[in-house]
Amino acid sequence: MNDLTNPVEVLGIDAGGTMTDTFFVRADGTFVVGKAQSDVDEANAVLTSSADALAHWDKTPEEVFPQMVTCVFSGTAMLNRVVGRKGLRTGLIVSKGFEDFHRMGRAIQCYLGYAFEDRLHLNTHRYDEPLAHIHDTRGVTERVDSKGGVVIPVRLHEAREAARELIEQGCKAIVISFLSSYLNGTHERAVRDVCLEVAKEMGVKIPVFASVDYYPVRKETHRTNTTLLEAYAAEPSRAILANLSDRMKDIGAKYDVRVMASHGGTISWKAKELARTLVSGPIGGVMGSRYLAEQLGYENVACSDIGGTSFDMALIVKGKVSMHQDGDMARLVLSLPLVSMDTIGAGAGSFVRIDPYSNSLKLGPDSAGYRVGTCWPAGGVDTVSVTDCHIILGYLNPDNFLGGILELDVPRARQCVKDQIADPLGMSLEDAAAGVIELLDLSLRQHLRAMISAKGYSPSDFVCFSYGGGGPVHAYGYTMGLGFKETIVPAWAAGFSAFGCATADFEYRYDKSTDIGITKDSTTADKQEAVDTLGAAWKELADKVMEEFKINGFTEDDVTLTPGYRMQYLGQLNDLEMNSPLTQIGTPEDWDKLVATFDETYARVYADAARSPELGFGVTAAIMRGSVETKKPSIPSEPDAGPNPPAEAITGTRPFYYGRKWVDAKLYKMENLLPGNRVTGPAVIESDATTYVVPTGFETWLDGHRLFHLIEVE
Amino acid sequence: MSNYTKKQVSDLVKGTLDWETVHLMLSMPKDKDRYKLYMEVLQENVSYDDKILLAVGPHLNIVESAKDQEIIIKCDCGHEFGHYSKNWKLGALIYVRDSVEKMKEVYPELMAPDTSWQVYREYYCPSCGIMHDVEAPTPWYPVMHDIEPDLKTFFEWLEMPAPAKI
Ligand SMILES: [Zn+2]
Repeated sequence: MNDLTNPVEVLGIDAGGTMTDTFFVRADGTFVVGKAQSDVDEANAVLTSSADALAHWDKTPEEVFPQMVTCVFSGTAMLNRVVGRKGLRTGLIVSKGFEDFHRMGRAIQCYLGYAFEDRLHLNTHRYDEPLAHIHDTRGVTERVDSKGGVVIPVRLHEAREAARELIEQGCKAIVISFLSSYLNGTHERAVRDVCLEVAKEMGVKIPVFASVDYYPVRKETHRTNTTLLEAYAAEPSRAILANLSDRMKDIGAKYDVRVMASHGGTISWKAKELARTLVSGPIGGVMGSRYLAEQLGYENVACSDIGGTSFDMALIVKGKVSMHQDGDMARLVLSLPLVSMDTIGAGAGSFVRIDPYSNSLKLGPDSAGYRVGTCWPAGGVDTVSVTDCHIILGYLNPDNFLGGILELDVPRARQCVKDQIADPLGMSLEDAAAGVIELLDLSLRQHLRAMISAKGYSPSDFVCFSYGGGGPVHAYGYTMGLGFKETIVPAWAAGFSAFGCATADFEYRYDKSTDIGITKDSTTADKQEAVDTLGAAWKELADKVMEEFKINGFTEDDVTLTPGYRMQYLGQLNDLEMNSPLTQIGTPEDWDKLVATFDETYARVYADAARSPELGFGVTAAIMRGSVETKKPSIPSEPDAGPNPPAEAITGTRPFYYGRKWVDAKLYKMENLLPGNRVTGPAVIESDATTYVVPTGFETWLDGHRLFHLIEVE
Repeated sequence: MSNYTKKQVSDLVKGTLDWETVHLMLSMPKDKDRYKLYMEVLQENVSYDDKILLAVGPHLNIVESAKDQEIIIKCDCGHEFGHYSKNWKLGALIYVRDSVEKMKEVYPELMAPDTSWQVYREYYCPSCGIMHDVEAPTPWYPVMHDIEPDLKTFFEWLEMPAPAKI
């Protein structure tokens, strides 16, 4: 096929801390994956990685970019800026008397993101630096009560003074967050206008963020953190994305770059609310899984992504990804809807040590990360990592690690594992290294099982997708004996997050807290009022969605709006999120339809008998999602070539230690395997970007969509 | 098990070690060298030659006396509080904050405890005047004895020879 009938249409980018992956897809679904070392200048890394990918097709970015229609970016730069506290100096204006609440934070923030032991022990608890320094915080007299009524009118002369001081001190942005502002935003907006006025008088141009304009939701710590991130972390990212967009346009790109957001949709880099792109990489993988599942007819999927430092898991149930209303990221509680994921801090690069008291192996909590392990002397690591064990036992090819860009010293790794692990345990080198891998697999397996059973399901209801740099190495280990219907490893596992980003909808989502409650004693007039309140909230959010799409030149006809809400039985703590059965509401009967949908959803998620309609019903939040059509990658579809791999796929054998003995594993080149080919373990299937391990007792076959199916044969 | 340098242990004592390293130290089993390095750092901070065995405060250590090998508690300045099994506080200068006026010297009005319920007892070295400890008990509560270390078992744990007079 030529370029005209089969153009390159879609680009997904995953700019991680170490590697920048690009994923290009042609109209017929064929794809290439590119890799480059990440760079301070992200545009450089993206273009280098693109050139690497397109070289597989003998093409250059200059030839391909002008024909592409879609590009989605995800990256870790914004997250790193927050974690390293290297953001824009931001001033904070709060209700007078509450100047300290931001730096005090929520108690949970002192152990968020920690390993289990460190959560339990008070001496490891610690509060991170606040995003806005107390010296850059000012109080302004004002008060709105819990019903939205004004108790103390805002003193604007204080706001004027505060703004002047903050700007004089060197703040480059100002955030305003008052108590209960989500119920009545007039004070915040008035102060916002005063700040803009003062900045103008002083001849400076700085952004001013009122929390009500961005996140009109309850819980002031969450809301303040999130609005602060908009100023502190997202504004610098906007500049980087603008640069990336310009550099692509320079070589002929005609698309608008989009960014993966925490709610699972993608948004324009020009979007007003960019903080929601803070965490995007792992979400890309979940979205990619959902898309694959939808295309190929899998209803329930357990997503598993293993990288160098962590193991991320998520569930897709009946085609739906579940959402957290108040996600947390970078040890901050936030008002952002976030795709639910469970993460543990154990990965393919975790450090391995001996606990001197129990004389047993201990993994992590820290990891070698991009420094790999003792097998790479240039990385400067002298503690054994899981990767060292993989190298020693023949799982990974030391001569082609990460496509051969690193030169490894296997004897050094053997010596380190012997001295640090094998000798203290009185074991052979091989058994000690195998013990490390078994321990990691066991720990991942237990977490995967626990995550599924904690939600009331059984692994036998699910297909497991395994991806990420380390997924194919560990897939057999962490799924063994769990009883999944099937375990699937996409041939593009290493670029799966980038692929997933490209499959996500161009979708904005906005939320607003509501306080609506209807009991059996409520009148028809009460229901009418409830419906009016919800309708007005939807209208407000729909306007925000449209405002964002207009930036990219879309009109109302292009946008599909999907209203949603969170409802609960009054007095219960948990609420459920669902799409509205009605696109417009206006009558008391509409309320009954909303309630019926909630009742059904509740019975499905929990149990019929757990329903409690006698308590009455509350709506805690209004949600509006708006999306436009985008070009998504096609899934490849290739003809069956029979069970026997072609000669060019067979590359030799390698000693491989498994089941307490050395065996010869057959080696295959992943790119050269054809649909229908079957491979029986022990075997190792290699490509530049990933290694797929099929030990004794397993076999695998490649389907027409370039998905490997891993099967336990014993 | 990890290994840390003497510089890192010294920074830990000074409170200037970076949090990532402190966190790892807290979460991981102790390295074999830690006691030795820790004692070396403490020893360098004092002017006396008596061997430090254990710290009981930022400026207060249990030491093996150079002159008679008795195990005693000693201030950085050299002041000796007596045998380690006795409560050193009984040999300290004591200042009790038990009135609104005295509380106002350390806390703003209305932000200090009611002294009929709680008092502050401050313990100072009689020789150099450094503050070694503050207690916040109810007024009638006896002087607290904070630490009575079982040094014999401690040295067994360390797998090191114990001083003769333990
Ligand atoms: Zn003294």
